[in-house]
Amino acid sequence: METHDIVLTVVREFPYALYGSMLVGTLCAFLGVYIVAKRVVFLGAVLTQVSVLGLALTFLPVFALPHTIGSLVVTIASVIILSTLLTGKHIPKDAVLGFVFVFSIAARILVMQKAPKVEASEIENLLRGDILFVTPELFYLMAGVFVVTMAVHLLFFKEFSYISFDAETAGTQGYNTGLWEMLFYIIAAVVISVATHMVGDVFVFGFLVVPPVAAMLIAKRVKWIFLTAVLLGMLSPIVGLFLAFKLDFPTSPTAVAVASAVLGVAWLVRQVRA
Amino acid sequence: MQPLIQFRNATLGYGPKIVLKDISFSILDGDFFGLVGPNGAGKTTLLRAILGTLKPMSGEVIVRNNNGKPVRFGYVPQRDTVDYVMPYTVEEVVAMGRYRQVGLLKSVSQHDRRIVHESLQHVDISELKHVAFKDLSGGQKQRTLIARALASEPEVLILDEPTNGMDLSSRLSILQLVRHLHEHDKLTVLMVSHLLDDVANYVKRIALVERSAFQVGDVDEILTAENLSALYEMPVTVSNVGGAKIIRAGGDNGNA
Repeated sequence: METHDIVLTVVREFPYALYGSMLVGTLCAFLGVYIVAKRVVFLGAVLTQVSVLGLALTFLPVFALPHTIGSLVVTIASVIILSTLLTGKHIPKDAVLGFVFVFSIAARILVMQKAPKVEASEIENLLRGDILFVTPELFYLMAGVFVVTMAVHLLFFKEFSYISFDAETAGTQGYNTGLWEMLFYIIAAVVISVATHMVGDVFVFGFLVVPPVAAMLIAKRVKWIFLTAVLLGMLSPIVGLFLAFKLDFPTSPTAVAVASAVLGVAWLVRQVRA
Repeated sequence: MQPLIQFRNATLGYGPKIVLKDISFSILDGDFFGLVGPNGAGKTTLLRAILGTLKPMSGEVIVRNNNGKPVRFGYVPQRDTVDYVMPYTVEEVVAMGRYRQVGLLKSVSQHDRRIVHESLQHVDISELKHVAFKDLSGGQKQRTLIARALASEPEVLILDEPTNGMDLSSRLSILQLVRHLHEHDKLTVLMVSHLLDDVANYVKRIALVERSAFQVGDVDEILTAENLSALYEMPVTVSNVGGAKIIRAGGDNGNA
């Protein structure tokens, strides 16, 4: 296919894929800046897998909710439980996260084995998500999540940034830091849950980490880090979709590879500057 | 002087575990107060009770200003508790000290910016305002955190281990700045430290925090060789060199 034909095909035939992946890429990159700054990247990976487990559970008759609702319920419940476990002193935090991560994957495999009347490969396809098969319903749900998330974050930017920078001092000034942290993680859980159903775990976790890290290598000011990460999150899926068509690659990994290539260039530029 | 912070027979701890039992003392308006003790003795527990993030198991902790309102604290945390990933500028960090006054859904006003700049001038780091906090030296970071505390227009300045891990010149410079804020700006200061030398030569009153023997008083009556030897369970000497107290572990060649 010629370049012109690919662009027309993507825009005309897969508009929800194009705009949906841009929405998810932008939102994950924005939240990812905080996730990387708070040094809780592994939590992003954990929530992605928990969300996939939530999706898998909806194939069981006892948990027969709509896929997105099931994923949301399980992910938000996990955030609330994790907030208790992570503040305890008996088990190291990374051990708690490691356990939840591996449990989610193991439980998903077991659930898939017992899911009636559905081929395991069919479930696996749904769990992996595919940018090209984003439905209008999921797209509009994601658009709603995008508007609410960005509104909350922009309205309370100074509170989120202060608590992320120095929660201890913010607490002494009367901020209920536990509540603000919980709000952040519940929003992240909702985004990760809907996004994972929409575009798959590789895309979501990739965009939570890669654009923010690239932005931190390139930009020297906080606002530029957010802007760079958001731009990278928005543009990488476009290039990824184009390359996926051109080279006959799967879409999500190609989008992550594009963002990773930018990260590689950013790292090289940083090395040269130093 | 009116008391700003009062502990009345307060027992502090976590869950069923008691850390400090039945303590009573006051920190007065205009005090320069040191909280000293070995690691794990309960300094942080006491600090949390003062800041209101830990309720006493019994007794009372009253934190009220002369008008009967809650005391406004300017808190300077230990430097390693803040985020060093994001390149917040010095000016942005100090502006955080205004966020509570600014309130939700509002942005930092010209008035707030003026206070931020005054705070930067106060600690003599105006020229660093566009530099990333994470790129500063230890002493500059501490000045930035002090400026942020000042920007909140505090009645009590609380410093948690302010000179920990600093070289000698930075240490002296920070301690002199804190003394200046106390003497010239009439700020009530509470300094937490495990470095006895720092506290001995700067604060006026002191609380020696140790589970079995919580003592409060003037520096000269508390920081004696006898007291410190009992507290640390090893010989400690207290010498007076050129008007400055030098506290050393071991030996008996000092002038107690």
